[in-house]
Amino acid sequence: MSFKGTLPEKNWSFKLEGSFLKLLSRVFWVAVGCTFLFPLYWMVTMSLKSKSEAYDNPFGLPTSWDWLNFSEALSKYHFYTYFENSVIYTTGTIVITLATGSMLAYCLSRMQWKFNTVMLFYVSMGLIVPIEVVVIPLFQLVKWMQIKNSHLGLILPYSGFAIASCVLMLYAFLRSLPKELEEAACIDGANVYQTYIKIIFPIVMPALVTQCVLIFIRIWNEFPLAFIIASKDQFRPLTVGLLGFFINVGVTDWGLIGASMLLSSLPMIIVYLIGNEKIENALTAGAILK
Amino acid sequence: MKTKSKAAAMLLMASTLLVSSACSSGNETKSNEPSDNPSPSATSKEDNKNTTETDSKKIKMRVITLTTDENRNNIMEKFIKPNIASALPNLEVEFEPGGGGEDMANKLKTLNASGDMPDVFWNDAGYFTPLKSTGSILDLTPYISKDGFLDKYAVPDALKHVDNGIYSLSSGADTYFTPVIFYHKDMFEEAGVQVPTTFDELIQISKTLKSKGMIPAVTPGKDGWGPKLFMLQQMIQIGDPQAMADLVSNKTDFNNPSVKEGAARIETLVKEGVFPDGIANIDYGPAMEMFTSKKAAMLWMFTWELPNLAKDETVDFFPFPSASDKYSPTENVQFWGSPINGYAVNGKTKNPEEAVKLAEFLAMADALYFESTGAPISLQTGNQAMDRSPLMQKFVDWYNPIPNKIASFALNSLDARTSAEISTQGANLLTGEYAADDFNVAMNKIWSENTWFDK
Amino acid sequence: MNKYFSTKVSIFVFAFPALLLFTLFCVYPLLPEIWMSLHKHDGFKNLGFVGLNNYKEVMASPSFWTAHKNTYLIVAISLLLGLPLSMMLSLFIDAQTPKFRRFFKTVAMFPAILSVTVVAQIWLAFYEPNWGLFNEILHSLGLSSWTHSWLTEKKTVMPSIGVTFLWQYIGLNALLFYTGIKTIPKSYYEAALIDGANYIQVCLRITIPLLQNVIKYVLILSTLGSMAFYSHVRVMTAGGPGDLSRTVIYQMYYTAFDTSEFGKGTAIAVIFILECLLISFVIQRYVAREKLEF
Repeated sequence: MSFKGTLPEKNWSFKLEGSFLKLLSRVFWVAVGCTFLFPLYWMVTMSLKSKSEAYDNPFGLPTSWDWLNFSEALSKYHFYTYFENSVIYTTGTIVITLATGSMLAYCLSRMQWKFNTVMLFYVSMGLIVPIEVVVIPLFQLVKWMQIKNSHLGLILPYSGFAIASCVLMLYAFLRSLPKELEEAACIDGANVYQTYIKIIFPIVMPALVTQCVLIFIRIWNEFPLAFIIASKDQFRPLTVGLLGFFINVGVTDWGLIGASMLLSSLPMIIVYLIGNEKIENALTAGAILK
Repeated sequence: MKTKSKAAAMLLMASTLLVSSACSSGNETKSNEPSDNPSPSATSKEDNKNTTETDSKKIKMRVITLTTDENRNNIMEKFIKPNIASALPNLEVEFEPGGGGEDMANKLKTLNASGDMPDVFWNDAGYFTPLKSTGSILDLTPYISKDGFLDKYAVPDALKHVDNGIYSLSSGADTYFTPVIFYHKDMFEEAGVQVPTTFDELIQISKTLKSKGMIPAVTPGKDGWGPKLFMLQQMIQIGDPQAMADLVSNKTDFNNPSVKEGAARIETLVKEGVFPDGIANIDYGPAMEMFTSKKAAMLWMFTWELPNLAKDETVDFFPFPSASDKYSPTENVQFWGSPINGYAVNGKTKNPEEAVKLAEFLAMADALYFESTGAPISLQTGNQAMDRSPLMQKFVDWYNPIPNKIASFALNSLDARTSAEISTQGANLLTGEYAADDFNVAMNKIWSENTWFDK
Repeated sequence: MNKYFSTKVSIFVFAFPALLLFTLFCVYPLLPEIWMSLHKHDGFKNLGFVGLNNYKEVMASPSFWTAHKNTYLIVAISLLLGLPLSMMLSLFIDAQTPKFRRFFKTVAMFPAILSVTVVAQIWLAFYEPNWGLFNEILHSLGLSSWTHSWLTEKKTVMPSIGVTFLWQYIGLNALLFYTGIKTIPKSYYEAALIDGANYIQVCLRITIPLLQNVIKYVLILSTLGSMAFYSHVRVMTAGGPGDLSRTVIYQMYYTAFDTSEFGKGTAIAVIFILECLLISFVIQRYVAREKLEF
């Protein structure tokens, strides 16, 4: 896949008439681009400020660098446990959703099943149900299944909710693939499971990566359900673990809030910076719907 | 001043840990715990390990309590965690953070709806009635009369709910909380204004303060916090204390002219610029900060912040000034407490005796903490009375002799829906875009649907 | 060949796990919701069957309609303002030198990966009326009369929150558009170049029409995303002042949890889900129906 622009560089000049307009739009978007980076700057500087400075000088550079906020944030809250839990919830959800979701998408798009259209519509309803609406019945269900005090208590509901968008995206992706793929495998004598694992799975990889990222964003930052279900300390994810900071922001001090925000967002940021090229690749795959 | 208190807190925490680890010498896991890491669950987890090794018969208890304000965190770190193992050796207690306010209520509601209530929890007027109706809350009277805990209260009757049951145990510090106006003496001096004694003077000095570039007064306004918890009540009772007392006991409604004036006064305050712009969206923390950083000259706040604020020597307080001769600050005052705020025991717990003991321990921890801040309490700890700061002494000298103490409207008269709607309406009033008349019309309708007094 | 693969067993193996998870955790919980919406329920216990009364009462409450107005305002902002801006950004990214393009691609998605709490806190500080960034800037430009108490005035509160939302997701949508633009074959442009078309004509005649599929995808995502708009409001204004910035989901929460009227709260949830179904049906049916081959 080529990452060069749609147009050859030499044709640049024809794209915007007049250099003034060109300059204006560039200035505007560069400014906007900088605002996109602002949160990072804000979190970093905030985390280095003392409590009083954070109020007096909310946007400027810190006058003295106060690293204490980090050690305090790390020691006061079980950062490592919460972090580990967040990782478990996120990867667990990703694995389960992608495995089951891609199989269903394969079934709906490539197999001959008379309920294909009905099921596609049925699953697409999942896009519309916000998790917040069903917190109470979900809680009762999880309790009844006796998975409340385990990581599965959150992973399974999260997966249930993530499946809809995963199936829809992969469905669109799979439909665009040529039929010859399986025919070749078929002639080689492979059965459907082998074909799926050896041929289809690698091909849908870009779309799976997109889903990975989307699910990661969603689950890493999820709060309402985790707050109710992950009640035991050893199962709390970061969002809930930092409740004291995040809910009643302002009661405690901003330096600490900044530090804890930064610590909890850092994994996201790192994953993003490392995988950014891949993510973009994957978005391409995802964007070609139907 | 902030860093000082933090350092002191750390020192205290470290020393308590040191003491407790020294006491339990031979207890290796505990002394391995780094002393700068007094994190709640680390300690309890380590404890759990010990208990499973040494004594598997321990009774498990689950507690959900408030975890969001500074006082609560201090109580947990300094008074509950270090002492619970020695005070209640037969229990294995798991603390679950409840958050506060809405989050806490939502959590307990969800747990209650699914029959998963903890053994001991912080009870609040906001969810008391429904909890009681499902049998999720225990009448403590027989238990605490038998073991003598009831006798430790200065005024045992104050624990009783209207139906004569006792549902919650608290330190009693609540009954000494009342809203007052804190102010910076130096800022008043700089602006050349005096402590106001009437509502009109209050408006006048606010204008002067504002003209000197200061924010006259601040209070938490987000989600109608201030209006609901005290402002409406204060603005009604400074004109007519009797009308306010009647409203709290449902003897009058929002048609009463004296009650109507309350909202009108709030509208006046907002229109005259007593509060900063955007007061309707100012949270508790930022409001406190605006005052302590001397951007605002006055802070309208409950006296539970008095020990913290008294650390700044320029801070003083005065009662709400009067708006008519029916009211005098030495005759009438609003008090905060409600007999149902405190540690409650689940009516369906398997071990009521032990759960009550736990609730008693927690209430005592509250009492010990508030006592250590110099705040008056009604649960006797058996300790020598501490020296009070001059400001706390001034408060006690003013507050204790007041004959007519009016209960808090917010805690003693509102069902969940009315309470939520008052927050909404109160925040509206603070925008300055909402007329007091509209407020009163809306409130009258809400008030007529209030189910609190239906019994 | 497909027949060979599509045995009953294989269909079951492929379809069952996902359908089970989906049905159990996503669809099944809706049933108690619907049941609850027909009862008077305080979240603690059922106080009796009331038929459609909850629905009637909910529809009669002005707050419900305020919440709808706000929700659709957010939808409008993100569709009418957000999508064109995202499109412009994506076209802009496309026209950059590789170095700049890299910068923008990296930066664009950044706000979207942060938690709403972080983003909302930053914007709270921007909107602060007494010393927040926006009012400071307006003061220093001599435009003091333009300053507002952004989050507590009736006129400004919802647009202000909307801008925050817009800002957070504009880059993500732009990237989605951009990835679509990349797939357009160059030959289309070359033909246009020969015709002597200018840049804007090329965009309007070639790029955008060819992006229909992506546009539709983003349209559905943004519409449903902004319908369920809630977290920003919760952190920034708690629905206030009063009920002025409540969205439908917020109103649902408020009714269920704050006022302890779960029956009514779930009635709002059911109405909301029906609305979303209708809207996505309309988009599916009437927007960008034809499949474009290229």
